[in-house]
Amino acid sequence: MSAPTPNNSLSQRVKATPGGEHLLMCYSCGTCVSKCMIQEKINPNYNPRRLIREAVFDDTGLAFADDTTWQCTACDLCYPACPQKIHISGVINAVKQAALDAGVKNPAQIAQVDAQTCIACGLCVEVCPYEAINIKVLRVPNRGIIPVADVDAGKCMACGLCSATCKSTSIRQTNEFTDQALMDNLWGYLAKGDLA
Amino acid sequence: MVDAARQPLIQVKTFTEVEKVEGFVGNFKVTLREKAKYVRADRCNGCAACAKVCPVEVPNPFEMNLAPRKAAYIPMSQSVPLIYNIDMDACIHCYKCVEACGALEAIDFSMEDKLVEEEIGAIIVATGFSHFDPSVMSEYGFGRFPNVITAMEMERINNSAGPTNGALIRPSDGKTPKNLAFINCVGSRDKRYIPSCSNFCCMYSIKNAILAKQMHPDTEITVYYIDIRTPSKGYEEFYDRAREMGIRFVQGRPAMITENPDTHNLTVHGEDTMLGQVMSREYDMVMLNQAAIPQPDQNHMSSVLNVAQSPGGWFMEYHPKLRPIDSPTDGIFFAGACQGPKDIPASVAQGSAAASRASRILHSDQWQIEPTVAVVWPEKCLSAQGKTCGMCARACPYGAVDYVQGKAPTIITAKCHGCGGCVAECPTDTITQLHYTDAEILSQIRTLLATEPEKKILALRCHWCSYGGADLAGTSHFEYSANERGIKVMCSARMDSDFVYEAYRLGAGAVLYSGCHQQDCHYITGQIVGAKRATRLQGMFERMGMSPGRFRVEWISAAEGDKYARVINEMQASLDEIGPEKLHDEITRMRPEMAKRITKLPNIPLVQQAFNRADEFQTIMLNEVKAK
Repeated sequence: MSAPTPNNSLSQRVKATPGGEHLLMCYSCGTCVSKCMIQEKINPNYNPRRLIREAVFDDTGLAFADDTTWQCTACDLCYPACPQKIHISGVINAVKQAALDAGVKNPAQIAQVDAQTCIACGLCVEVCPYEAINIKVLRVPNRGIIPVADVDAGKCMACGLCSATCKSTSIRQTNEFTDQALMDNLWGYLAKGDLA
Repeated sequence: MVDAARQPLIQVKTFTEVEKVEGFVGNFKVTLREKAKYVRADRCNGCAACAKVCPVEVPNPFEMNLAPRKAAYIPMSQSVPLIYNIDMDACIHCYKCVEACGALEAIDFSMEDKLVEEEIGAIIVATGFSHFDPSVMSEYGFGRFPNVITAMEMERINNSAGPTNGALIRPSDGKTPKNLAFINCVGSRDKRYIPSCSNFCCMYSIKNAILAKQMHPDTEITVYYIDIRTPSKGYEEFYDRAREMGIRFVQGRPAMITENPDTHNLTVHGEDTMLGQVMSREYDMVMLNQAAIPQPDQNHMSSVLNVAQSPGGWFMEYHPKLRPIDSPTDGIFFAGACQGPKDIPASVAQGSAAASRASRILHSDQWQIEPTVAVVWPEKCLSAQGKTCGMCARACPYGAVDYVQGKAPTIITAKCHGCGGCVAECPTDTITQLHYTDAEILSQIRTLLATEPEKKILALRCHWCSYGGADLAGTSHFEYSANERGIKVMCSARMDSDFVYEAYRLGAGAVLYSGCHQQDCHYITGQIVGAKRATRLQGMFERMGMSPGRFRVEWISAAEGDKYARVINEMQASLDEIGPEKLHDEITRMRPEMAKRITKLPNIPLVQQAFNRADEFQTIMLNEVKAK
């Protein structure tokens, strides 16, 4: 990473993004961390307070590699608890945008659209809680230039709501969260009698 | 307290409210409401016979409602003077107390509130502070979970004269807690409630922790904090002692407290930020160190005493650094936490200082004030002509303008500090300021702009800050444009828009409007009055099409000599950029507009004479220039 200059440094950039204005007001009191569901249920290494410190000190290396940057669901449980009224998910989102602009790949298993079968009905656009899906006119092999759903890699949180909603099974999660993998899992449980 | 009550020259009036304060330094007339105690002070000997027989029990607010008191009561056992009081809201009129009092006949149910007027020389306000109610922070469960208590409740539980006789027990089952947590900054340093630091909570949470640990050395105590603040002498050593005793300190503000409904034990969820891990630990009892807030009737007192309030509601001192004890009204002083949260040593120090400040007044026959006070020519006043105005009273930070609609205002000279805000705000120039009259300042402007005005930068500077800044620029040898000409007034509030119009009418190249930064204003809110006017002028000149840089508003402190030099140089640069021809055109174009706005100026007494003198001077100057 290049050395940050005052104007394009991470902290300046976060401050300039709506939601990230109060970045430098952080007391580092840890209230956000103890409020966080992701920290509690999913990833003990997830820590918004630490990410704010990394952003304050313009440490793009640490901040972009931090799980916190990529796993926040913007549930905003922390926001009303913050004594400094820092919109923490706004800060995290600003860091994420900076990371994507710097060419860092989103490690989340984002939704993938099968352009061959997508009928651009827009159901996924409506259900996406992160406004990550748009209908765009794209060149699709064998189908010409047609409107199809397009997932914004920066915004997608891989929740899977779109795949569950899609009527033409044209949008899907990857790896262990594909329809097939989930069904296999389910049958596996049923066969073992875990759900009986 | 007992010593004070025994001093023959000290009169203690308890259960008395200040209703009205009139007058000024050395001559206050204070109306007091002596509330009815229903017990005669001259007869009661404090024997408590009435309280013993009283059948009514109500919660005792002094014990944080942890213990009852009777309807016949004293506020606390050390009350001075020791006179009982009957709580009429609780009394059931059984008159058992009258019987018990017997031959003393101290109880008198016919007593009524009495209004007393007193002549007072100086007033010391020591009304103290109140506590933030943590029940609004639902995440901590205060009020829902019996074992979550406040610091003041802990204070009473820890006290050997308190409701538990000093036994450390928890409310839910009366057992001694083995595992205690203290949470600091509850409500304070929190933008949702009280943004400021409450100053003393770190120390008293350490104190309460040490007291509890001394009583029960096997108690586990954990203090949750954001920052521990131990700035005074001996405080850090006290904090050291707490850690040596085995009290654990966790940096991290807990987000939530949950309760086990069976045991009433509490789980505190908080990140230990040093470890970077969330800890959920179980405690028997949790104490919340809630924020200090102003008294609930602080706003009322502020209007009774006519003293302003700082952001946050505390009483505002005259100057935060140089006069922290004086109120903006001469003769009224502050002691203790009514002026801002402070601990016992600081309150005692401020109290002693306030007493000595007040005695200066009591021991003088005369009181000197600045001579730059405002005076009124009543005949021109709009209000006296039946119109609605009151601009002068609104501009005055000290309440020195006695304004009654329909009459010309009178200035209470002893209250006037001489900022000149009322003078500049008055639309009919009915008020002037001694030593800074309109005539004086206008003739200064004429004289300074006598020759080649379009090259000049006229700088209006306030006495305390920007004048000092200019002075510092000079003594520090910071170079700035020699075309600057400065005029000193007491405050930016005095910088009348007429002065600016007159300067531009005379053809001034640029005008600087400068004063203190808002927080440094030496006249409380004078700068705000000045700044409002400056913003209005700025907008007007912009609409008139004045080139940018010709009218500049800058707040420059006495320490910012470099800024003063820089601002003047920048103004010079923008004048150079505009160029003489365009500037000349602009001045000529705007002259009639400016002249229109100041047609009333010669009607102000002495202004015409001052103009004539200045014009004479101008002729002399021009002749001299020609002779060269």
